[in-house]
Amino acid sequence: MRQITYNIHRYNEGRSYVQTYSFDYEPDRTILWGLQKIKDTIDPTLTFIAACRSAVCGACSIKVNGQAMLGCESKIDDITERFGSDTIEIAPIGNFDVIRDLAVDWEAKVNRLKTVAPWIFMKPEFNRDMGSRQTPEDFKKFVTNTECILCGCCASECNKLSANREDFLDPYVYTKANRFVQDSRDAAPMAHVNPAFENGLWKCVHCMNCISRCPKHLKPAKDISELRAVATKAGLSNKGTRHALAFRDDLIKTGRLNEVTMSLKTDGLVDSAKQGLYAMRLWAHGKINPLELVVPHKPVQGIKDVRTIVKAAEEAER
Amino acid sequence: MEQFDVLVIGSGGAGQRAALEAAHQEGLRVALITKIFPSRSATAMAQGGINGVLNNVAKEDTIEDHIFDTVKGSDYLADQDAVEFFINRCPELIKELDYFGVPFSRTSENKIAQRNFGGQAYPRTCYSADKTGHVILHTLYEQCLKENVHFLQDWYLLDIVKTDDGAVGGVVAWNMKEGRVEKIATTALVIATGGAGRMYWTRTSNPYLSTGDGMAACFRAGVALKDPEMVQFHPTGLGKSGILMSEAVRGEGGYLLNNKGERFMKDYAPSKMELAPRDVVAKAIETEIAEGRGFGTGLDAYVVADVRHLPKEVILEKLHGIRDLAITFEHADPLVQPIPIRPTCHYSMGGIDVNDYKTCGTCVPGLFAAGEAACVSIHGANRLGGNSLADAVVFGKVAGEGAVDYVKNNAAKDATKALNDAANSWEQKFREVTGRTTGRPIAEIRDEMALSMWNNVGIFREEKKMELELETLNRLIEEYKTCYVGDTNRTFNMAFVNYIEVGSLLTVAKAVTLGALRRKESRGSHLREDFAKRDDANFLNHTIIKLKEDGEYEVGQSEVVITRFEPKERTY
Repeated sequence: MRQITYNIHRYNEGRSYVQTYSFDYEPDRTILWGLQKIKDTIDPTLTFIAACRSAVCGACSIKVNGQAMLGCESKIDDITERFGSDTIEIAPIGNFDVIRDLAVDWEAKVNRLKTVAPWIFMKPEFNRDMGSRQTPEDFKKFVTNTECILCGCCASECNKLSANREDFLDPYVYTKANRFVQDSRDAAPMAHVNPAFENGLWKCVHCMNCISRCPKHLKPAKDISELRAVATKAGLSNKGTRHALAFRDDLIKTGRLNEVTMSLKTDGLVDSAKQGLYAMRLWAHGKINPLELVVPHKPVQGIKDVRTIVKAAEEAER
Repeated sequence: MEQFDVLVIGSGGAGQRAALEAAHQEGLRVALITKIFPSRSATAMAQGGINGVLNNVAKEDTIEDHIFDTVKGSDYLADQDAVEFFINRCPELIKELDYFGVPFSRTSENKIAQRNFGGQAYPRTCYSADKTGHVILHTLYEQCLKENVHFLQDWYLLDIVKTDDGAVGGVVAWNMKEGRVEKIATTALVIATGGAGRMYWTRTSNPYLSTGDGMAACFRAGVALKDPEMVQFHPTGLGKSGILMSEAVRGEGGYLLNNKGERFMKDYAPSKMELAPRDVVAKAIETEIAEGRGFGTGLDAYVVADVRHLPKEVILEKLHGIRDLAITFEHADPLVQPIPIRPTCHYSMGGIDVNDYKTCGTCVPGLFAAGEAACVSIHGANRLGGNSLADAVVFGKVAGEGAVDYVKNNAAKDATKALNDAANSWEQKFREVTGRTTGRPIAEIRDEMALSMWNNVGIFREEKKMELELETLNRLIEEYKTCYVGDTNRTFNMAFVNYIEVGSLLTVAKAVTLGALRRKESRGSHLREDFAKRDDANFLNHTIIKLKEDGEYEVGQSEVVITRFEPKERTY
């Protein structure tokens, strides 16, 4: 009889360990089914959370072979085929505090969600008695974002969160913020943008793991980028904004990045000077050339085309 | 000890709407207990929509029509005064949801879009694509966060505690993270813990959470269960998993086909066809399967829903959630192949006996119930699609109002001693139960309950099978007393929680069986093979089941309120 083996990363009262369970293979079964099978027939102490088992509630997110996904919609057949093994690693999703085994602490995430005022500030022309009005086109602009099921998969392998959770919000929080920013009925988009800006909006490292992990095919990284655009248009500026604008300026001017002016434009003279030693090392390795301050780059060949592309992109944004 | 004015149990649509109502009141201490993160509940799974006469699509629709459809849909078992009260409030509650920011789909006039749904005269089901429940639940959660509702998350109701004079005194709850019994004093208590579909375990569309905890706790606290036998089987569960496929698939024009490729609804509801009410469609599918016109055999048998004749945009835009489900869980893409379906247990029409629909109050002072956990009764023997989300928000609000009014008019009563006693007894119980090293595993008891309930008190019912089921349940209840749980840990002990859940399910399943035995007729979702006809002379009344002092169930009845619609034969 073919056996499926789960190596489950368990945790209880300060103790972490991996426990191995095997059970008979059955076709067309889900990863969650396997967990329930273990709990019911092998080890009642195995702890996990699940509710709808139809991928709409977001409760059963776990890491399967290192990737966050919903246990209820992930087929054992697909996983064993994709990874070429009947042994499957199962762990709690990352960047959450683990309560026990695969159960993680969502309560601790609520205050982070609240940071961006995750509720609508309804425009004054609407009221409780009549509800609101919205064109079908405006409805389409934000409705995708309302499909977020708060499963946390986007946060699990977010490289920024893994490096530091304190100065960045979970990707779904930005998605939630953008849901209101893009809703034509919201009277105060900046009430969502400002706190997002203050809480790491420019710190995303663009690894795109949030997009590749989202079981609902949402795009938190795109939401972050849209929120940045709104913030910048509203005049909110920080190093991130200046860095992006410096990129844009260099692109238009020469089609090449000028690493020296980039630092000056982003960090300013004082902060750049503080990194003098680092700059010297870069210079020594030929990564930057301070002479470029005096002798600017020549525009690259085909600069006209580059400028046309930038212009087209900016018009598309409008 | 925690102390509140209003305590809500359950974080679905009804619970969160109730908490929101109470939180709007200045100076009240309000809290909500939930055994899981608040956006996970069954409400999130409702796909199709929420009913209310807004006239955004059908100008000729009226409140009167909605009342009549609901009463007729209930097979005249609903209380008509309660239905009237309910239907009149639906439009304002839907507009309020819109104002809270629910992303409703829109008409070309920028108003809330409305679609056809089974058993209704006009398109009056407001929707957001096919994720209506999900967006309503998330929006209510947003509003609760805005109003700073105090969530006691990962807390689990153990028992309701009463004062010496029989009013609500508080509850004892299991703090899942800390692994300890908590005492909570409260003046008013709203039970909104949802249904009990998990008595059929995997043969239900309900989440793992729907274990009838509130129904069982109220039952132990002396409140009756009303019409528990009225369990709705949704006609279109997915073939393999029992996961719900929304009625939208029929509403948008999908066909139901048997293995001969016939639209078999022509033989059961020639005028409404696929848009006939749920019980009619469920019975039709089961009959086709029983008479050999399904695909597959035994419990794996099914018929199919076919939407391939619909425009591709309709499938991609209005049914995309259904398409996702069919591809993921049935390996069938509705664009190119029919979807295997068969009935699945979907909704508990019966529940905690609410005796005042204007407040959602029960016979215990200070105790209110709303949503699927409650029986008001507005759904009677069969609930219309789109009326459950409406029920959740309308009666969630009503229960919240009722609780607030109660707090204003009644001083908090001291129940410290009773709370201490209950807490001590549960603490002892935790140690005794989790410390057992022998006994029948709880999962085995659960599985036997589910299989026998499906076979004996499922869609089709008859005396002999149900008598047999009563014996089985009584035996399981005995085995439960010494069952094996197998986890002594304090922290997040899901085995202990599951143990209590199975206890709740056994309690409710026995009431379902006794109710179904009493009702020697077929009405709405309750189909007796030995009594195929509705019998208004003897059974146009509610089943009322109470727990006696000695632990036995007492089966009785109460009157159905009929105001303007005299019972007629129910045909579509």
